[in-house]
Amino acid sequence: MALRFEILGRFNRARAAQLTLPHFVCQTPLFMPVGTQGTIKGLATNQLEEIGCQIILGNTYHLALRPTSELIDELGGLHQFMNWPRALLTDSGGFQMVSLLHLADITEKGVTFQSPVDGKPMLLTPEESIQIQNRIGADIIMALDDVVKTTITGPRIEEAMYHTLRWIDRCIAAHERPHEQNLFGIVQGGLDPVLRDICVRGLVDRNLPGYAIGGLAGGESKDSFWRVVAQCTAALPEDKPRYVMGVGYPLDIVVCSALGADMYDCVYPTRTARFGTALVPEGVLKLKHNAMADDTRPIDPTCACMVCRTYSRAYIHCLVTKDAMGSQLLSYHNLYYMMKLSRDLHTSIIEGRFPEFVCNFLRIMFPKGDVPEWVCNAMEVAGIDISSCCSPFSSSQD
Amino acid sequence: MNWPRALLTDSGGFQMVSLLHLADITEKGVTFQSPVDGKPMLLTPEESIQIQNRIGADIIMALDDVVKTTITGPRIEEAMYHTLRWIDRCIAAHERPHEQNLFGIVQGGLDPVLRDICVRGLVDRNLPGYAIGGLAGGESKDSFWRVVAQCTAALPEDKPRYVMGVGYPLDIVVCSALGADMYDCVYPTRTARFGTALVPEGVLKLKHNAMADDTRPIDPTCACMVCRTYSRAYIHCLVTKDAMGSQLLSYHNLYYMMKLSRDLHTSIIEGRFPEFVCNFLRIMFPKGDVPEWVCNAMEVAGIDISSCCSPFSSSQD
Repeated sequence: MALRFEILGRFNRARAAQLTLPHFVCQTPLFMPVGTQGTIKGLATNQLEEIGCQIILGNTYHLALRPTSELIDELGGLHQFMNWPRALLTDSGGFQMVSLLHLADITEKGVTFQSPVDGKPMLLTPEESIQIQNRIGADIIMALDDVVKTTITGPRIEEAMYHTLRWIDRCIAAHERPHEQNLFGIVQGGLDPVLRDICVRGLVDRNLPGYAIGGLAGGESKDSFWRVVAQCTAALPEDKPRYVMGVGYPLDIVVCSALGADMYDCVYPTRTARFGTALVPEGVLKLKHNAMADDTRPIDPTCACMVCRTYSRAYIHCLVTKDAMGSQLLSYHNLYYMMKLSRDLHTSIIEGRFPEFVCNFLRIMFPKGDVPEWVCNAMEVAGIDISSCCSPFSSSQD
Repeated sequence: MNWPRALLTDSGGFQMVSLLHLADITEKGVTFQSPVDGKPMLLTPEESIQIQNRIGADIIMALDDVVKTTITGPRIEEAMYHTLRWIDRCIAAHERPHEQNLFGIVQGGLDPVLRDICVRGLVDRNLPGYAIGGLAGGESKDSFWRVVAQCTAALPEDKPRYVMGVGYPLDIVVCSALGADMYDCVYPTRTARFGTALVPEGVLKLKHNAMADDTRPIDPTCACMVCRTYSRAYIHCLVTKDAMGSQLLSYHNLYYMMKLSRDLHTSIIEGRFPEFVCNFLRIMFPKGDVPEWVCNAMEVAGIDISSCCSPFSSSQD
């Protein structure tokens, strides 16, 4: 184990903690930007530090393709290669394969896929995934799991969950750097509480440094989503970090944090920036909209980031319709927004005002009081009273 | 933009003739096909100046009739006279002469007689500054420097001289030696987008396989954020697949150009300009193969670069 997880404050299930990793001491809850191939699209290393980014996710699949894990290892690991002094997490490579490649087929051995370079069949095994991640050198590495879409049904879900359990032992056996890199297991099982429970208990038995809740943030309903998160956070050990993979929207992060999760990652903030959309307390602001053309206000008058302190909506509107710079500035703002959300979650829990923070967050996002039912249900389970920001007759929307 | 420093706007004419269909030049102005709906439109000197008045830059450019230096024939002379007649219309249309400086642009192709007529016509109008236009196209370097030299010799001493569309660091050093003050070019950022960095030795192509495991910075002598932070190997990895690579190279390349500007200014003030030029050439041409056009230009500029030229220089552009 190469981490320390110290809970500094709580509100019911929600926790604010200090996560000490080999390269950096992080505060949770936290959001990890996705730096696909060792870089966050649009931001340089100094800008990531500027906005308070603590840990970045690198995609093993893309890095293994280029520049290859062997070269990264030769050059001293991904930290040195990127010159990123803080923490890194790499995923297993499995997800990109099944989502990006043809003929991805899962067997007991691992994931077979068609090489994107020459089309030949290739196999990613748990051993190979861990070896690649050992070379890359991130603070946290992810077990190779068998992840299925939550929208499918049938025996495949159970098969995938048991693959995941059998593969975790192979991952553990292959892991050559347990004192420098933390191997997290990933809970699978679709939307089936029985399968999820078996998986959680199997992974907890292996006494891993941390646990992820996988297989969500696909096409499932929000109602199903929060229930799986709630079940898993209730069953996972208190004293270890919980990472909900692929989440996501600010609202989802607030809900999951209320339910006891600590870490998140998603391409959403940067990807939506590339479509001209900014994250704001009210929800989203679409900079391509004609109304922005002569709006001299900053994206978010309450935001202290470099973009909001410097540029108007009108200027960014002009850029997003025709220049990559627009996307970059929006990426910067959106990531700043996510980093601030992380800090606000951490601080409000420690300072004993988490329910007030949640209510304020919801009040700004749903000024008419139309907080979605799934949020209300989740907050009830989390023991957070949000009645002050819900209108008396709430409709059931996702 | 929230840009607190200076701005210069061009007249709009050049983009029109280079980007649009059916651009046609008449006495009135530039007719072109609107890129929005294809209808014929006309950019007059008056219109160009009005647009620039609204934009509000510190320096605005007269609408000129610019022709490629690679063409020959009566069109060059016609364009030069258009430019002279249009400058009066520009001056008349300019509503903010106390806030914005209208520069005239010397045209005339590669013909010294036409260039001379144009210079004298523009100087008569007593403008705040002058540009040397119509170069940085397809002309030979030998023709290029001679036109610059002629114009800088004839333009007033006490006003800025702006060579439009230049350019390569070497060209900037030569033009500065000949008496020019200001330059613009898309080159540093455009070449960055092709994965090329500007370095004292010339250029470094980051896409080249040799860069894949090169742990040195782009330029070990460069103090910019990119060179202080990233290795060639990392940038190589980016330029082949991520826009971030181009951005980092753009940053470095522009830093390089800003430093070149500062070095030119400071070396002249500190009385060591010839040493600066020699050092610049020595690093760029370590075998002493300084191009002949540079040698000729430096001779006219009165700068002794013999210490960095090999005894037998070949005539290359």
